[in-house]
Amino acid sequence: MTEPGAGKPKAASTLALMRRFWQYARPHKRWLFAGLVVIPLVAVMTTVRPLLVKQAVDEAIPARDGPALQQLALLFLAAVVVEFVSMALQVYALQRAGHLSIYELRTAIFRHVLCLPARFFDKNPLGSLLSRSTSDVEALGETLSFGVFTIATDAVMIGSILASMFVLSWKLALISLSVAPLLYVLVRWFSAMLRNLQLEIRRAQGVQSGYLAEQLSGIGVVQLYGHEDHARTTFEALGDRYLRATKLANIFDSLLYSLMDGISAFCVALLLYYGAPALLGEVGLFGDLSGALTLGLLFAFVEYLQRVFVPIREFSSKIATIQRAAASLERIFGLLDTPREPRAALDHPEIYEGQDDPLARWTGAIRVRGLRFSYGYDDGAPEILRGLDFDVAPGEVVAVVGRTGSGKTSLGRILTQIYDGYRGHVELILNDGSALELRELEPDRVRRWLLMVHQDVFLFDESAGFNVTLGDRALEDDPSRVHAALETVQAAEFVRERGGLTAPVGERGGNFSVGEAQLLAFARVAARSPTMLILDEATASVDSLTEQRVQQAIERLLEGRSVLVIAHRLSTVRHADKIIVLADGEISEMGDHDTLMANDGLYADLYRSGFAEE
Amino acid sequence: MTDPNTQRAGTAGVGGMIRAVASFLYRYAGRYWVSYLFGFAALFATNWAVVRIPTVIGEILNTLERSGAGAELGERAKAAIEPVSNLALELMLLAVGLIVVRTLSRVLFFNPGRDIQYRLGVDLFAHLLTLQRPFYARRKVGELLSVAANDTQSVRLLVGFAGLQVCNVAVAIPMHLYQMLRTDWVLTLWCVTPVVIGGIYMRWTVQRFYALIRSSLEKLASLSDRVLESFSGVGTVRAHVAEEAAVERFERYNRDYLELQLEVASLRAFAMPVLGLAGYIGTGLVLWVGGKQVIAGKLEVGDLATFTALLISLVSILTSLAWVLTAFSRGTVSLSRVQELLDADAELPEIAHREPFASAPRVELRALTFTHATREEPALREVSVVVEPGHTLGIFGRTGSGKTTLIDLLARVYTPEPGAVLIDGRDARGWELGSLRAGMAVVPQSPFLFSTTLRDNIRLLGEQTGHTASADAELAGPAWVSFGRARRRRGSQPATGAAGGADLTGAASVDDPRLAQVIDSACLGPDLAALPQGLDTIVGERGVMLSGGQRQRTALARALYRQPKLLLLDDVLSAVDQATETKLVDAIRSLKAASGGAVPPTTVIVSHRTSVLEHADEILVLEHGEVIERGTHTQLLALGGSYAAAHEHQREQGEGGTEHD
Repeated sequence: MTEPGAGKPKAASTLALMRRFWQYARPHKRWLFAGLVVIPLVAVMTTVRPLLVKQAVDEAIPARDGPALQQLALLFLAAVVVEFVSMALQVYALQRAGHLSIYELRTAIFRHVLCLPARFFDKNPLGSLLSRSTSDVEALGETLSFGVFTIATDAVMIGSILASMFVLSWKLALISLSVAPLLYVLVRWFSAMLRNLQLEIRRAQGVQSGYLAEQLSGIGVVQLYGHEDHARTTFEALGDRYLRATKLANIFDSLLYSLMDGISAFCVALLLYYGAPALLGEVGLFGDLSGALTLGLLFAFVEYLQRVFVPIREFSSKIATIQRAAASLERIFGLLDTPREPRAALDHPEIYEGQDDPLARWTGAIRVRGLRFSYGYDDGAPEILRGLDFDVAPGEVVAVVGRTGSGKTSLGRILTQIYDGYRGHVELILNDGSALELRELEPDRVRRWLLMVHQDVFLFDESAGFNVTLGDRALEDDPSRVHAALETVQAAEFVRERGGLTAPVGERGGNFSVGEAQLLAFARVAARSPTMLILDEATASVDSLTEQRVQQAIERLLEGRSVLVIAHRLSTVRHADKIIVLADGEISEMGDHDTLMANDGLYADLYRSGFAEE
Repeated sequence: MTDPNTQRAGTAGVGGMIRAVASFLYRYAGRYWVSYLFGFAALFATNWAVVRIPTVIGEILNTLERSGAGAELGERAKAAIEPVSNLALELMLLAVGLIVVRTLSRVLFFNPGRDIQYRLGVDLFAHLLTLQRPFYARRKVGELLSVAANDTQSVRLLVGFAGLQVCNVAVAIPMHLYQMLRTDWVLTLWCVTPVVIGGIYMRWTVQRFYALIRSSLEKLASLSDRVLESFSGVGTVRAHVAEEAAVERFERYNRDYLELQLEVASLRAFAMPVLGLAGYIGTGLVLWVGGKQVIAGKLEVGDLATFTALLISLVSILTSLAWVLTAFSRGTVSLSRVQELLDADAELPEIAHREPFASAPRVELRALTFTHATREEPALREVSVVVEPGHTLGIFGRTGSGKTTLIDLLARVYTPEPGAVLIDGRDARGWELGSLRAGMAVVPQSPFLFSTTLRDNIRLLGEQTGHTASADAELAGPAWVSFGRARRRRGSQPATGAAGGADLTGAASVDDPRLAQVIDSACLGPDLAALPQGLDTIVGERGVMLSGGQRQRTALARALYRQPKLLLLDDVLSAVDQATETKLVDAIRSLKAASGGAVPPTTVIVSHRTSVLEHADEILVLEHGEVIERGTHTQLLALGGSYAAAHEHQREQGEGGTEHD
């Protein structure tokens, strides 16, 4: 057999994972404690029942004492009812605590993922993210609400039964439990196996669902290019990996379960094999037991052995479930441990909520000195920007042009802090002349004042109004601002046609055309009136007829704020106050249209090639 | 394909539900009958041992009692030692045997369940691949994923776990009852009565449970859809600091789901264990009534132990019955959800012909009118045009004028009315999709790249996928899990193998001349040079993010690589700069020259830029789905309509600028 730990990332201990999970359970500890408080009651009732039977067999029945038997039977029934009620309360309380904790965890994951840096999304497919934030949590929920918390009950129950057995006869207890060490070793071994398998199963599942998500998202291309057969084959192959792992896990699971079941009978056999001769007066392995043994005692022992293995069996199946939960938790915490972007709203709410945000005094001017940037300094990725120096004055429109790969898009991403880790200085100038370094500001604070209009428009499957406000309270409370924003970008008309702000946009904005979606996205920006705007070819998909309207809208959007236009229309470039020409991550030219044309450099080249056909 | 009415019935009554399960079992579980047969045999053996064990214990106790245990130690007692020891040894053998047969029964029942889940998943995916746009317009991807992941899982529990337990109950209960009746029938009646009452109560509980599970699965699906949507739009959320609003929105769904879960929890806590309670009440009655019988000398004390043990075992089976019913109800709900997808009709008309067109086809639209299912206004009205083989049709119009719908109808993404779209004189409606599309290449408005190498994205021959190549796909389990993996790989990674040594950054080193040519045509050469592994760079979700323009040009290269007879381009040059656009237009035009004497592909090209369309043989100007102007570029300019106005505007604006990324 292979070493279970070979060649894999070291799995964190289940206990450490559970301890970490505690932070989500802590707010609901009242339910948890309510559930735990009744555990002793349940355990006592379970232990008492065989004692009542022993009493009946050893005393009431041999004494032919009918009323005493009746009394014992009634006590037995009372114990059963008390056990049921307390058990039900316990199960409910513990499940409630479990579900509430899972609920919190689910929100925490969701919140965390939303704040993860863009680099993370570059590397991780949505499918696997989805499986981590839903399937994994779901698996966890199923087990936690049963496994983890009720395992305490099982432990207490096993403990009290064992205690009771040893008190009644420690010798018999030792005989009948002599296989316990073997059992312990086997359970440990199986659990380790299962744990590793569960990890593999989750991974295989993640890969498979990632593939499925991608194929379904791109179903159009798959079908138009007759790629269905290949997609199916790949899916089968990925499923095969999952299948093999789960089947293997099944075998271990079944063995573990059956072992527990069989061991119970085996222990009874041991007890009777060694105990019976003693009872009959034979001096056996443990000396003369005759004095201590009665038939009722044997009776109780047989019962105890049958009962102690029910919780032990549950215990082991719960351990298996906990292994599953641990595997899920490991992946979930792995996700939660991915460092998120700083967020003022989370990290420094006092600044974020407060009125004295210094950025409110930002003039819209920025000063960039020695700006260098790479998408991965650690991975040895090439530098995209290699030492830029430029200024944007308040209210100035600066255009950045350059060929593909010149780094102009990266510039926008750095300024909006979608990617961090730039070198050099990017300073925001306040109205008192002081400056704030961009990297020292939390992205969400900056983005309130510095907005980027993306080329890919994303609409949420909600109302048109929501897609403008995006849940911003101030906007939601003041629909007139939303309407004004829609007017500004000339989106008011078609929004009204579709039924106003409450009109649903459909999944991915399906009820609106690409151009209309673009205008809605503009309205988002207009409604927020940022100090600075970064325009990233926002009009790409708007046809020229619509664009005439949009062009005016953009002009109005640009008014009174600093603007950095990336990958722009040449018309905008011509009217820009300043044009920065990028080549290979460096500024090759800077100046206004006429100056640059007069220079007859790269810009003039670009400009002329843009009009080559005319 | 199943009639939709039977499917409705399947979701309605319990009878229909059982029928649905039965037909499913016949289709999927049938082939595992050998496994199930042996599993059943093992189950039988298991239950025989389970019932036999308390009987042996009882016999031992009876022997001890009869020989006057603990009292005077006579010869009678000595004589009892041997039979007791033998019985105890039998008990040990039974215990060991029990371990073996129980393991077997579980493995033999559960593993086919895994196979069935696998096959169901594959079948589901295969079926989803045949469904067309109208279906995907209705169903959300997140929802489909949830069905594929969670519901097939529940179906597996239905055929594995629930199947085993149902068989177990079917075998165990009669065997237990038989053994109990043999021991003492009066006592049996006493303890069975509360169990029967508990069972009746259980029926009601399960019905409520069924409803709850169904709605909680639906809630789960919409929850995961919410998650997928928000993650896809994370860029927007981030840019507008909308994280809190997104979380709030998520919380609404999360809370709905929680509330259902809590309701399920209370049912599980208070209603489900009632059966177990009934069993223990039965045990109490055994002690009472049985004890009296022992006093009266009608029953031996060992039989009391046997009886109690049998009852305990019976109760544990009945308790698990509650879980079976849970798994069963969850499984049938899931099954109906899976079935609903499997039964979803591709909504394709009858196939009249299936031979692909051999050369560039003649495309004709005859008064083509089309209305989307969700809209009232038609997207296209009475559009008629003829495109001769090898000719180019330009489509111009503003956003929402019906341009994309036209392309979609030609590509049969939507099904046109009979006689409205003719290709080579034959109704496109009746064409088998695969063979129709085999001759065409379509580049949609928003290009989609798969998580694989750029090379495979262009060739789309499907050598590998980024999902298997990624780190997460590395094997984590013990080495023997990987047994047979090598076999499955089938030498399917030529691309990664080659990536190491050779310089693949330029089109020059590409071994496939056709690939080299389309890379050149699509102006991808310089982009490849900038990518870390050139053509072998993994792009898409799992790889390098390409710019909008690069994506469009990759999609164009993909289309050209197919050497289509019919080329449909839907506004594919919107994100490329003016200079590149010119080159691309030239490349598309030069397909004529490259075809060397043969007829070049018939091309339909949609654009809102007049510069893209000026070489088209005919241009249609669409507005609100109607053709408002038509003619060549020159004719349209002379006409002085909206096309001419747009052309003038674009010329002034110098539209195009530089490519954005």
